[in-house]
This record gives sequence, structure tokens and C-alpha cells, in this order.
Amino acid sequence: MNLRESTGIALGAIRANKLRSFLTLLGTIIGVASVIAVVSFVQGMNRFVSEKLLDAGSNVFEIDKFGFITNNDDYINALRRPDLTIDDAEALRLGVRHAAIVVASNGNSERIHYRARHLDGVKVKGESAGYEVINDYTIEQGRHLTEEDDQHRQLVCVLGPEVTEELFPGRDPIGKEVRIGEQTCQVVGVTKAKGKMLGQSQDRFAVIPVRTFQKFKSERGSITIDIKSLDQAALPVAIQEARNLLRGRRHIGPGKPDNFGITTADTWMEFYRTLTGGIFVVLIGVASIALVVGGIVIMNIMLVSVTERTREIGVRKALGARPHDILVQFLVEATTLSLSGGILGILLGVGLSLLVGAISPLPAGVSVPAILLGILMSSLVGIFFGSYPAFRASKLDPIEALRYE
Amino acid sequence: MLIRIHDLHRVYEVGSEQVHALNGVDLGVGANEYVAIMGPSGSGKTTLMNLIGCLDTASSGSYRLDDVEIGRMSDDDLARIRNQKIGFVFQTFNLLARADALHNVELPLVYAGIKHEERRKRAREALELVGLADRMKHRPNELSGGQRQRVAIARALVNRPSIILADEPTGNLDSTTGEEIMVAFEHIWRQGNTVIVVTHELDVAAHANRVVRMRDGKIESDTPNPQRRAAGAPA
Ligand SMILES: Nc1ncnc2c1ncn2[C@@H]1O[C@H](COP(=O)(O)OP(=O)(O)OP(=O)(O)O)[C@@H](O)[C@H]1O
Ligand SMILES: [Mg+2]
Repeated sequence: MNLRESTGIALGAIRANKLRSFLTLLGTIIGVASVIAVVSFVQGMNRFVSEKLLDAGSNVFEIDKFGFITNNDDYINALRRPDLTIDDAEALRLGVRHAAIVVASNGNSERIHYRARHLDGVKVKGESAGYEVINDYTIEQGRHLTEEDDQHRQLVCVLGPEVTEELFPGRDPIGKEVRIGEQTCQVVGVTKAKGKMLGQSQDRFAVIPVRTFQKFKSERGSITIDIKSLDQAALPVAIQEARNLLRGRRHIGPGKPDNFGITTADTWMEFYRTLTGGIFVVLIGVASIALVVGGIVIMNIMLVSVTERTREIGVRKALGARPHDILVQFLVEATTLSLSGGILGILLGVGLSLLVGAISPLPAGVSVPAILLGILMSSLVGIFFGSYPAFRASKLDPIEALRYE
Repeated sequence: MLIRIHDLHRVYEVGSEQVHALNGVDLGVGANEYVAIMGPSGSGKTTLMNLIGCLDTASSGSYRLDDVEIGRMSDDDLARIRNQKIGFVFQTFNLLARADALHNVELPLVYAGIKHEERRKRAREALELVGLADRMKHRPNELSGGQRQRVAIARALVNRPSIILADEPTGNLDSTTGEEIMVAFEHIWRQGNTVIVVTHELDVAAHANRVVRMRDGKIESDTPNPQRRAAGAPA
């Protein structure tokens, strides 16, 4: 029958009973809203994580004292391992043949002064040459730190744009001397802004040569070594070379475990995937339950509607409606009902993910496939749970239906 | 003959008992007749009307409408015949409460698969014919009983059926309004339609040109209307 008519009837019924309709549709609304929110959120996270992890390309791996540690016991044990040193980094630089770049780094948080101005909580990073590739820094003004800066333990630094804005408002920072902790360094460069990641500024830092950094520090601490292999294919070879070299330097016998950690972007991705996979499964489960409950409520309300409108069905049949016409009418009504819930759910879900994106550091975008999924799911709920009431309506005997009080 | 009914039976099973609502009815109705069916309560008038209107099928016997046997038809075929050939007018009007007069009248055309503009046009014409040109946008609860019944008549007419069936169309109306409705039926009949009206009231039956009396599921008498007072039946 006429689609417009059936849709009109359903929308009219929704308008006539706003509260009842809202309660009827609550399950569907919640179900669809959570699907939209979860999918948008996880998609946003995925995009974000892969972008960030692959900042320097996927062929980078990192060696440090701890590696990928997820529990406290492992951490306590790892504390007893020997520190990684600049010498280790130097050995790797010379010995890992499939490495394109080897960068040693260390870091802490310091206060930075320029004359009367100062800035707290600045991430101070000691880095060796090539750090700009690993960290994906581009220079805005001045120059990057070089191999010579490092070898001669120069007192120079490259600042993040947030730091220069705070310390040198409206002035040229190049050549100025800032005090980082106890030491004075000359500013040689400023990087381009990178914006925020997980709500934290990526532009509030100062880079100094790693050897300068190690010299400043009374207790040196373990460094981190990032290695970029020649290309993607060379990554496993480079990892193996680095491992063998370090094991050799530390005289680790065959069969004994490494006393250092190697992490790749894959390690993080893997961890991230199990994490979000879990969230995904749980929330999709919750959403499905909400949708099934929503569907049952819709089925119930449609059965009530069929009973209430028995006479109308009789009249329609007397005027020439075939069983099929009645079936379609009630299916369209049920689907219109559930789809209205779906659309409200989509609005709610989108609102929710935009809200999360606005007030928390977690990224969340509106996902078009998620919206389509929401529309599809709510339609299917309507068709599936509407079919029994619609079938009952279509099978009503016209005379009985006309006589119904 | 438009309607040809032979030895028609309709038996209801109530518990272990059988109720013979129709017990061997023979009836023929030609095109453009105006028939009144009378008889005591429970004599089977409504049952017969439902069978003629293809809302129900007989237990045995034959009913041919336009020379087509109705007894063996599928639900879809019956629906199509109701839509194309039958126009119902009920005692309780049976209009859709949420739809306005125009929409109610359009309904048979919706199931006939007629396009929206054409539907509108024909529904308007039908409403004008029953004198409700100024009430098209009114809902049933905004209309008087007589007006409601006229909407129902417009609805019965709109798809140009062969037969108008009315089961006690004045039963819920006062006598003045009932008379108006009967004038409307007379008008329809004069336009060439076949009209069958069930009634308890002699005044109402007086409009018809033939009176069929039923008793206990059978036809007791079938006579040309001696009281017919309208001047000159059409040729
Ligand atoms: N669905 C049914 N089930 C059982 N018996 C029925 C059913 N419908 C009608 N009957 C019986 O069939 C007989 C004829 O009923 P019908 O409704 O045709 O009478 P009627 O002549 O229209 O009466 P009234 O003037 O009161 O409307 C009655 O005895 C009634 O009890
Ligand atoms: Mg009756």
C-alpha cells in the first residue's frame, strides 16, 4: 500500500502519544546511541593511535631498560637491569647495519627561565642527531641540533613553540640565552606547532644534545634508543642485529632472556587492539541487549495497536485492502517507529561523542558508517519485531474485525 | 443478472451446536434495482449482506456476481472485488477517526492503486455529490451523525462500484436525518446504481422498489414495493 500513508499514520501516532512513544523507543534509542558512540569513539581512537604511532614511520623500534611492561612484578625485576648508556647507543649506531638512524634520548621536566619570565613543567629532552625524524619535528626558525652539538656537549637548545610564546612574546628567541634548570643554553631553533595529543600539548618542550643532558645530570639514568630501519622490510633484521649486539655487549648466554626491552609500533598496536577489542565486545553486547529489549517493547506496542485498531483493519479490508496491504502497513508503522528511535539514538550518540571529544582529551569523530549502521539496525529491529503483529493484523477476519468493540 | 444466489447456506458452529444463519436462500438482483431487505432480528439479514459483499463466504450453495462464482475465490480476489464492485455503508459509519472526511473517502482509491491527484479529485467529487463540499477537512468527531453517514456514502460511491450495500444505514440516526440519508440513496439509485438496504423501518423500505422479507435464514417473501411513493421508477 501507500508508503506515505503508513508513515504518516505512524508519525501521527508518535506525535499523539509523545511520552508513550518515548518510553517505547527508549531501548532502541539507547541501543543505537551506544553503537554510534562506541563506533565513533573507537574509530577516532584508531585513526589517532595509528597516526601517532606511525609518526616517524612504522619501521621504528625502541630499546630501553623496561620494554613493554604491564604488571608491577615485571617492573620491580626490570629495575635491577643495567642501564642503557650513550656507549650502547654508539655501539648500535656502528653495529646495526640495517639501521638508517639511531637516536639516543633521555628526558625530564624542568623550569625554564628567560630573564624575569619563567615556565614550569617543560619537558626537557636530551636527544642525539636524527631526533627530528623520530619525533617528526620540523623547524620553524633557526636550525636543528646537530651531531657536532652533541659531540662537543654544546649548551644549545631547540624550543617548542609553546615555550617560545610564553618566554619570548613578540620577540625573536634565536640567539637568546635561557636557563634550563641550573644550566644556561642558547636558543638555536624553534619547531613548528604540532598541537595537542590526548589533551596534552606537544609543543611544550626543549631539546638539548643528549650528551649535554647526561653531563648535567648527577645521576645519569637509563637512556632510550630509537632505531629507524632502512625500510619496512629491514625492520626484523635490524631488530635482530640490535638484540644480538646488546646481548653480546652484556655477555648474555644463549637461552637466557634479554635484560633490556624492545618495543615496536606493532607492540603498541597489538596492546591497543586487545584493549579496544574488549571495550567493543562489551559495548556491542550492551547495545544488542538494548536493541532486543527495544524490539520487544515495539512488538508489544504494535500488538496493542493492532488490537486497538481492529475495527480500522476491518474497515480497510471491507474497502478492499488485501492481507498483504495490511501487513505492509503495520510493518511500515513498526519500522517508522523504530527508525524514529534510531534517529533519536543517532542524534544522542553523535551528541555524546562530540561532547566527549569537547570536554575530554579522548578523540571522537562523527562516523558516517556508524550512522548508516544505526539506521540499518533500527530498521531491522522494526521489521523483525513488527512482523508478528503485522502478520496477526493481516490475518484478521474482516467480519470479526468490523464487529470488534 | 448482477447477483444470482442459489440455495445459499451459512452455518456457524457455536460450541457443539450449529446455527443456520442462512438456510437455503435463492435471490436474483438485476442492475439498477433498489432492494430493501427486512425481517426480524436474527433472521440472517446481515449474514446475507456480508456474503453479497464478499466479506464472508458461504458454507454451501452458489453466489455469482457479474457471472463469476465467488465461493472459490482467494482472499486477494475477494479484496479486489470488494474494492471494485462493492460499496459498503454501515450502521455505525465506520469512518477512520484520525482521518478527515476527504481522506476517509479516498481510502478505497488507495487500495485501487489510483494516483494521489486523481484520488483527491474523485474524493472531492463524491463529497460534493452528498452535499459535503464544505466539510472535507473535518474529522468524523467534528461532524454530525447524518454528515458522517454521508461521508460513508461518498466513500462507498467513490470507486464507482456496481452495488451499494447498506446494513441499517439509518439505525443510529433520528428520523429526520434518516430521511435525508434515504434521499441520498434515492439520488444514487437514480444515477444508475444498484442499491440493497437492510432496514427495520417501513419508512426506509418505502424508498425501495422491491422488498425482500427474511425469516429464520430463508426468504419469506419477495415483492415489488406496493408503497413505493417516489414518482416514476427509472425505465
Ligand atoms: N459470528 C457468528 N457466530 C455464531 N453465530 C452467528 C454469528 N453471526 C451471526 N450469527 C447468528 O446468525 C443468525 C443471523 O444473524 P444476523 O446477524 O444475520 O441477523 P440479522 O438479521 O442481521 O439481525 P439484526 O436485525 O438483529 O441485525 C443469528 O442467529 C446470529 O446469532
Ligand atoms: Mg444485522
